Amino acid sequence: MRAIFRVARATYYEGWRKRFLNGILVFAILIIGSSWVFTYLQPGAELKMLIDVGLGSIRFFGMLIAVFLGSRLVPDEIEKRTIYTLLSKPVTRMQFLLGKFFGGLATVVSNMALMGLTFYIVFMIKAPQFAQPTEDSPAYKMEFMYENIAKAVLLSFFEMAVVMGIAVVASVVFSWILAAIFSFFVYFTGQMSEFFGHLADPDTGASPVARVVLLTVYRVLPHFENFDVRESILTDVPVIWSYVGMTIGMGVLYITIVLALGYLFFNQREV
Amino acid sequence: MSRSAQKLVAWIVLIGVFIGLQPLNDALSYNRLVLGYARPTPVTKVLQFDAPAMTGIIVGAMMGGFREVAASMLWMKTHSMWHSGEGTKWDHLSLMRMTTLLDPHWLEPWRITAWHCAYNLYVETDDPKEQARLLDMGVNVLKEGISWNPDRFELYFELGWTYFDKIRDYPEAARWLAAAVRFEHPEHIERLIAHAWERLPDMEKALMWYDYCIKRRPSDHTAKGATITIRERYMPAERLVQQRRYDEAAEAVQQYLLVYPTSTLGLHMMGYVYEQAHDYEKALEYWSLAAETLALNHYARYKVAELCERLGWPVPEYASHIYMREQELRKEMAVTHEVN
Repeated sequence: MRAIFRVARATYYEGWRKRFLNGILVFAILIIGSSWVFTYLQPGAELKMLIDVGLGSIRFFGMLIAVFLGSRLVPDEIEKRTIYTLLSKPVTRMQFLLGKFFGGLATVVSNMALMGLTFYIVFMIKAPQFAQPTEDSPAYKMEFMYENIAKAVLLSFFEMAVVMGIAVVASVVFSWILAAIFSFFVYFTGQMSEFFGHLADPDTGASPVARVVLLTVYRVLPHFENFDVRESILTDVPVIWSYVGMTIGMGVLYITIVLALGYLFFNQREV
Repeated sequence: MSRSAQKLVAWIVLIGVFIGLQPLNDALSYNRLVLGYARPTPVTKVLQFDAPAMTGIIVGAMMGGFREVAASMLWMKTHSMWHSGEGTKWDHLSLMRMTTLLDPHWLEPWRITAWHCAYNLYVETDDPKEQARLLDMGVNVLKEGISWNPDRFELYFELGWTYFDKIRDYPEAARWLAAAVRFEHPEHIERLIAHAWERLPDMEKALMWYDYCIKRRPSDHTAKGATITIRERYMPAERLVQQRRYDEAAEAVQQYLLVYPTSTLGLHMMGYVYEQAHDYEKALEYWSLAAETLALNHYARYKVAELCERLGWPVPEYASHIYMREQELRKEMAVTHEVN
């Protein structure tokens, strides 16, 4: 456990020293901080636009950070040959992999927390201007929105944990560039996983082979859209805790699968 | 633990968790749908392999969190196409449809897309069948928009207005406008419902809605004026029709037609009286007159075509008639399917 913690701590500090990640973070904070500027695009639906751009930016830039950081954690150690020093000490491959994952995750979570905080500040300042309490939209809905937004950010943390896990494991198998491309691909197709399920429906008239393929893709892909609850925030639907809990559970199970796969691949790899 | 044992444990964990994950995924998908967390997804369009819908979904997924921004950008593109004179091209319509699918809760694209089909593209063709198809497209766009935004009055009103102003299917117009008034709405919609009924003409229903307008706002002079006109000019004829005294009813309306020979309501009323009297030739005469008097009186044209059909005469091709006949046929087919 101590070995995992030490590797994680080193990875965390190393993550904060990466300039391109700092660049992404600064850019993300700028975009989130100025998200209210985009509201002019949809007159009459400013609040909706503010939430969508703000939460969308947290997810998007969080994903960029998770992919770029995750896909470089292991290859950098191999490239610099520091992995040999580490693995020759009483650190098992599993401990190394877990330490790298948790260290990277801590970096991503702290980055996302900063983005979330920025969005909260913007929302607290701007939202009351866009949503004047009316008979149709009373003031209590705003408080309700704050809670929903917190839940949305929490779910984004776990979504990025899954993305991070995929990036780390992919980097064990491929070069970091290929791992990053693979992670992006899985993330984007994972956003559409529900469609593969619909397309695999017998009513679509797809051939049995195509249906098997589509159903396999649907079953294997992480369902990233489950982490996205912006629709409920925009339509004033409360996000219930049981749903949040189930989604986090799903994320944890995916991380377990991904790390188990990572361990198996890492064991095969000659380092 | 040996390395091979560790591998075995990893495989067991992997397979076990993967199997355990599936019911959780299914439960989450179900919950998202039931609790209303799912982002709008035009599933039926996907199943029909509708190209703009598929593209919209892929763009939506690629854009991740920025579907609304993508929709706004596309909308700006449609504006620039419109202003550069490319507004009547079909590409324009595809862009509009994609915008509605990317951000289905944004009402403006639904309204403008429907208007574009039923009004702009409609006048680009002279083929009544094509025009009927465009009317159908416009109506379907609005119905789809309503399915995404069922608790807002705007799209119900827009659909009612399209039926009222463009298709001139007054019963349908009244139905959708009545749906709009269930939500927070501007007060002129109730008057529009009354207008729809008086043009049919169903003067009793029109009066009922005007009375409602006056009760809601006693200073509603438009409703008061309309009530007086209906009661003075057309209600006597309506009562005579109910008593099957058709000649007297026609005479009562004729008194006003002598003073206002091109009155749309008067001509409609005469057509209605003769239809009730089963004098279809005479009814056709008045509906034809109404159609000729007002270039945009598609309802009168529909009635002309309907009466020609009833009389076994050659049926003139009018877009609104083709459209309404198709709708009737669809309803009949649906009922037959239901019975079977």
